[in-house]
Amino acid sequence: MWTPASTWAAEALAVFVKEWRCEFRTRYALNTLGLFAFTTLVVVSVNLGPLGVSTAQGTAVLPVLLWLILLFSVAAGLPRTFVQEEESQTAVALRLAATPSALFCGKLLYSLTLVFALAALVTPVFAAMMNLTVESPGLLAGALAAGGYGLAAGSTLVAAIIAQARSKGTLFAVLSFPVLLPLLLLAVEVTRNAVLGDAAGVALPQLLLYDASVTIAGLMLFPAVWNP
Amino acid sequence: MKNLLAWLLWLWISAVIVGAFYYAPLAMGFLGESSRILFFHVPMAWASFLGFIAAAVWSIRYLRSRNPAHDRAAAAAIELGLLFGVLATVTGAVWARIMWGAYWNWDPRQTSILISLLFYGAYLALRGAIDDQDTRGRLSAAYAILGIVVTPFLFWIVPRITYSLHPEPVINAEGKIEMESRMQHVLYASGLGFAALFFWMHDLACRVAALRERKPAP
Repeated sequence: MWTPASTWAAEALAVFVKEWRCEFRTRYALNTLGLFAFTTLVVVSVNLGPLGVSTAQGTAVLPVLLWLILLFSVAAGLPRTFVQEEESQTAVALRLAATPSALFCGKLLYSLTLVFALAALVTPVFAAMMNLTVESPGLLAGALAAGGYGLAAGSTLVAAIIAQARSKGTLFAVLSFPVLLPLLLLAVEVTRNAVLGDAAGVALPQLLLYDASVTIAGLMLFPAVWNP
Repeated sequence: MKNLLAWLLWLWISAVIVGAFYYAPLAMGFLGESSRILFFHVPMAWASFLGFIAAAVWSIRYLRSRNPAHDRAAAAAIELGLLFGVLATVTGAVWARIMWGAYWNWDPRQTSILISLLFYGAYLALRGAIDDQDTRGRLSAAYAILGIVVTPFLFWIVPRITYSLHPEPVINAEGKIEMESRMQHVLYASGLGFAALFFWMHDLACRVAALRERKPAP
């Protein structure tokens, strides 16, 4: 079905606004993501602490831990966006109201704001608690932006898939981790380069290529996933 | 006719086994007879990739046609791809024990095939979690296509992270093949045999799946 660009953008924006309105009613995702990230931060910090890790070990280990915290927080909170639609039986109305691609983009935008907010909160606290000095903060911001986008895009598509299956919670972890693994490897590599002050190298373009591939695959596959 | 083809396949693979041990010479720089695993290990990995690519093709066809036969074909291709993938991993580990002294050492090849197998294992978990036939077909087709988009990244990334001891891939970046010609004959014959074996097993698996769907489970 052909829709003018303005109505498409209005639909996507309406979905985005609706997501945040629902979110502020329950604060489910904010609470889960925030508390999960905080708990893991405390566990990591208590056990490794600024005195527990030498600088050489820190540059090897800390980027991995940062991305693990982000990944598991996302896995705890993001599947909710689609699971909630199926559980409260609002999915049918949503199918009638919005074109699939606009819906996907609206949901993706919502996930994106959530992941970026999480990364913006967690990373400075993590760096402060772990005594992590970052040589090139600009590259770190790039790694967080590109990696966070990939996390949001990959998990939005997988959340749409698992929302229609049984045992959704465990299934999300099983399905999304192999999809997000290449992203995590790349994001850790770029983050490590940022911490050491090295050049971004070939990992950053590959990370952007991953983001683009998952977005295009998501836009093409989502109509088949969403519409029965 | 089909019976005849199956017998021809049996003869072909028997000839490959004989050729691997009596016709092809040993490769230089390998311990003992260990280089002969090449004629089985490499075609198994090829058959595994063939399965995953075929599954993506059948998944695309399913999303276009919504024909349950295409969905069954995709699922059967992934099951067989996993089988050949596990066989390639195990034979590789046995060879690694002989050549490198350890069954598993996170060589880039081992890492990337393990993550690929993890992905397609998750595909089977997804299929198991959906009861409705049409929903199962749609969602698993989407996931299989996502796999073919995402997994190629592993083959770029992982070799950069750790150094590989794996012998130069047969299809390598320079596009040239450094192998004795008799070894090449056996390897390609074996690759052809394994591809035919894959499609024969796939045909059987599809027919079994179709029969199982027609007859309600007791």
